[in-house]
This record gives sequence, structure tokens and C-alpha cells, in this order.
Amino acid sequence: MTAFLVIFESGLSLGAMYAAASIALSLVWGSIGMLNMALGAMLAIGGYASFALVEYLPVPWWLGFLASLGVGFIAGAVLYYVTVKWMYRVPTFDTSIVIATVGVAIVIENLLVKIFTAYAKKQPFLVDDGILMGSVTMRYQSLINLGIALVIMLILSWYLNRTRAGTAILAVAQDRDAAQLMGVPVERIFLLVMVIAGVIAAASGVLLTAVIPMSPYVGHEPLLKAFIICVIAGLGNLPAAFVASFVLGWFESAVSYGAGARYGFPAMLVLVIIVLLWKPYGVFGRRRVTRV
Amino acid sequence: MTIPSTPAHGSSGAYAAARRQDLRLDLAIGFALLAIAVIIPILSPGKYILGQFTLFFIWACVVTQWNLVFGVAGVYSLAQMAVFFLGGYAAAMLGFYLEISIWYGAWVGAVFAVFVSVVIGAATLRLQGPYVLLLTLAIAVVIQALVQSDVNCFFYEGKICYPLTGGPRGLMKFGDLGFRDWLAYKQAPLGTYYLGLLLLVINTIFAFVIIKSPFGSAFRALRDNQPLASSRGIARVKYQILVFALSGFFTGLMGSVYAGHFRTIGPALLDLDLLLFLFSMLVVGGLGSRWGPIIGCIIIMVANELMKDLGEWRMIAFGAITVAFIVLLREGVVGVIQSVWRGYIVPRVPWLSDVRRSGLAE
Repeated sequence: MTAFLVIFESGLSLGAMYAAASIALSLVWGSIGMLNMALGAMLAIGGYASFALVEYLPVPWWLGFLASLGVGFIAGAVLYYVTVKWMYRVPTFDTSIVIATVGVAIVIENLLVKIFTAYAKKQPFLVDDGILMGSVTMRYQSLINLGIALVIMLILSWYLNRTRAGTAILAVAQDRDAAQLMGVPVERIFLLVMVIAGVIAAASGVLLTAVIPMSPYVGHEPLLKAFIICVIAGLGNLPAAFVASFVLGWFESAVSYGAGARYGFPAMLVLVIIVLLWKPYGVFGRRRVTRV
Repeated sequence: MTIPSTPAHGSSGAYAAARRQDLRLDLAIGFALLAIAVIIPILSPGKYILGQFTLFFIWACVVTQWNLVFGVAGVYSLAQMAVFFLGGYAAAMLGFYLEISIWYGAWVGAVFAVFVSVVIGAATLRLQGPYVLLLTLAIAVVIQALVQSDVNCFFYEGKICYPLTGGPRGLMKFGDLGFRDWLAYKQAPLGTYYLGLLLLVINTIFAFVIIKSPFGSAFRALRDNQPLASSRGIARVKYQILVFALSGFFTGLMGSVYAGHFRTIGPALLDLDLLLFLFSMLVVGGLGSRWGPIIGCIIIMVANELMKDLGEWRMIAFGAITVAFIVLLREGVVGVIQSVWRGYIVPRVPWLSDVRRSGLAE
């Protein structure tokens, strides 16, 4: 029973950590067809924005959190103007953009090293306490992370399905050319998607750095894990990405608990390799029919 | 075996003439570069410069082979460094545990690399575009994570614990290429220099022959229009496995040369920074072109040397260069040279005008 509780607790907090990042990744993939390798760097930007504001200005932690969302907004827009705007018409967009965003990520991470040094920093948005569940302590931070990820998920679902702009995003995701012919301004929708993803990434970065120490490269592992989650969920499938975050979190905890911590991450990667071989479009994904 | 041998347009006579023209151009460029490379040690530039050139030969080979998979066949594999690493590691482990000379171990490493490469090629068969990038990156990260976190003691030397794979430090003391014993100590760097040069020449000829052969046409056909190529009878599975096998051999072999040259090999070879460093060579030179890898490698190595004192700005510059090339100059330097050549020089120089189709790129 203790083993179960330990795995349950740590899996839940892992899942909550990855859920928001996976949603940001999945949204951009689903609507623009872009695998955003700069997401890890955007997570770091969010974390550092909150840190810098609280550290150097007399603002409380919640204002730092809100302001980091604004920084994420700008980061998303900048990423759009630097890469997507010039590239989305190119036939090899889906692979070129991967390379371009890797380059952007390297630039951002090294700039962060330059500004904040590579030493780990402490996130001000942090709750240290926890509640005792049997013999296992459930950290409040995990519950807060879970709650915020859930709120992001619900707001995004409402936005996509119930608002005019959201419907336009879905239309572009389904068929870009048809949407454009119907008068949807595709470039503006892309910008909108990037900005939303930037805000979610910043929020996710703050939540993430409350749990693990903040360094400029803090986003690397969550980025890879978000990829794994999105591949298993099928890239672009938001609710499935949310659910898969927790399933994968529990899977990782169970492997770490049973076989040792060093096998947790490799086991996830092996799992994704198996999934990709067995179902190339994700467990919940459907084959996309592409014309050549 | 159905291989498209007739050109898309123009008569076959003109095609053959253009091929001869390409061959002459390749030989001219090749001999010019080779002459420079042979002369450099005679100017006695010092140990550091020679070492950097040796490293250049190794990376140029690796990027040339990567270009076969990534550029020519269009399979977006990021597992190149994993193949390189495993090839070198196999040779290093044989040297370390069985005391087999790296000169023999290198061949075992190369064959092992072919095996690994074929497995990766087979694993990516059902995937497309970015999923291939993801899977191959995942494979590289798994290998690195497993080696890096390997801290269980496999044996003890005195009180020092050694894991089976050497763990995060990697392997050392598995012997080297032996130039120190054969040549005078001061001449030893020359040994690796000319070995690297020789391998780069063989490797380049190998890659060029493949690109120009019917296999190369088949690879490009599958890259450019897979349904059409398949419907014309080009077996995708066979050719994808083949290109991975072909490129895996030299990649693995160079892994052993790297291990023998530096006398150490470790999981740091699988760092993302190094992958991007080599990748920027591929992108800057021009994906899929024949001379792109070597030209890109020269440009990036020189840029790296010039920016050595810049610290973090060096990585920032590499990131920015890669973004600039992929956004603005997708054809790379070779593509730019080629369009300048075709668009400005050939029309203005009378004796060149009968050679319309001269191309560095394919």
C-alpha cells in the first residue's frame, strides 16, 4: 500500500509538471503542424521572468507569476516573427521548423546563461508544505500544479470550441487552404496560436521550476517528456495529451520505484519507441492522409 | 531491380556530357582541396593546427555520411552521432577488455555500426518527417542516458570503481593508433593527420559514387516523391535499409578513428550541442549536395576557431547562423554558389555557355 501511495504521489506530481507543457506542444503541433523544439527554452524564460521580477523589483510572487505570462506572450510572438512567418509556405516546413527552433532554443538558453549564470536559482512561486496521506506526504505544490494545469486545459478547450477565434484555429488545423479561402486570416491565427502557446509555456515554466531547480537548461527534460507524451497521445490531441501526462507520470514513477531511478527516463523512451513502431500516429492518433 | 536511368528531360547524349562535365568539376575541386591538405603539414603549422585539421577530417567524414541519409535519401535521422558513438565504443571496449588493437577493433566497430544503423533505419520505416526526428533523437538520448547513469562497479582497479561502459567519464586506456611508437614522438600528429586525410578521400569518393550511381537516383526519387517512385517500382524498404547500412559503415569506422586519436571516448559525444554543431555544417553547406558537407564543415570549423574566445556567444552565434540559413538560405552555401554560377557567370562567359548544366549540387 505504501509503495502504491509513493508511486501515486510522485506520478501525480510528475504528470502535473508535464501536463501544461504537453498541452502547449500539442496545440502548436495540431494547428500549425510545427514541432516546437524551442518549448524547453520558453519554459525557462517563464521561470526566469518570474524569478527576476520578484528578485529585482518589489513585487509579490503572484504578480511575478502574472508578469511571466506577459513575457511568455512576447516570447511566443517573437518566435512567430523570427521563424514561422517566413517558413510556413515552404514544402519542407515540418522538418525545417524543427531545425530552426532548435537554433532559437540554443540562442535563448545561452542568453539566459549570459544574464543569470548557469547556477541554479530558486523559484519564488513555491509552496513547501504538504498534507500527510497515510505514510506519504502529498505536497501542496503538486496539487497547485495539477489545479493550474487543469484550469489551463479547461480554458483552452472552452476557447477553442466556444469562441470565434478558437473556431478559426480549429478550422486552420483541419484544412489551412480551405480556411484561407473562407476568409480566415491564416497568418494572424498562427500568431495567435504561438502567443497562446507562449503564455501556457511560461505558466508551465513557473510551475516546473517550483518543483525542480531552475537553470537555463531546465526545459530539456520536460521538452523530451512532453514529446513522448504527445507522441503517445497523438500529436495535436489536447485532452489525450492531458491524460497521457499522468499515465506517463505514473509509468515513470513505477519504473523508478521498481527498477531504480536511472531507468525511469530510458523506460519512457523505450516505451515511445515501441509505440511509434506499433502505432506510428500515436495510441489515440489517426493516420493523416497527405497528398503529395 | 528497376532504377530510373534516363534523365527527366534532354537527350541522353546531353545528359552524358553533363555528367562528364560534373565529373571534371568534381575532380578539379577535389584535387585542389587535396593538394592544399597535403601541403599544410609541410608548412609545419604546429601541433594544435594539425589536431584541428585531423578533427576536421573526422567531422567531414561523419557529415558526408549523414548527408547521404538526411540530405540525399531525405530520411531525417538525428541518430548519426549515436551510430558514430557506438562504432567507436565497440572498438574501445574491445581494446579495453580484450586488448585488441584499435586497428582491428575499428572493423568490428564499423560492422556493429552498420548493424545499429540498419536497425534504426528499419525502425523509422513506418514514420514520416518530424516523427523520424523524434524517434532518432529519442534513441540517441536513451543511449546517452544509459551510459551516463551506468555507475554500478563492473571491476576495480585498486580502489577505483569502473562501470562496464565507463559511465559518465567514458572509456580510456584502450590503446591508440600507435603512431607514437612507429614514428618519432614529434611526428605522431602527422600520422593521424594523413590517416584522417586518406579516410576523408576514400569516404568522399564512396559518397560521390553512391550519389552518382543508380542507387543515388533511387534515393533522391524516394525523397522527392515517394508515391511516384514506389509506383515506378523503387522498393522503399530496400533502399532505406541500404542507405542506412552504407552510411553506417564509414560513420562507425570514423568513431574508432576518433577514439584512437583522442585515446578516450565518452557519452559527451551524444550531447545536443555537438549534434547541432555538426548539423549546422550540414545545413550551411547545403543539404543533399555533393560538396555541401565538406564546404559546410570548413566554414563552421573556421567560424568555431574565430569565435573561440567568445564563450557563450559562440553557441549563440551557432544557433543564429543555423536559424538564418534554414530560414533564408535553405539551399546552403553550395546552393548560393550554384545559382550565382548558373544565373550570372555562365550567361556572361561565352566559352561556358555550352555547359548549362554544371552542378555542385544534385
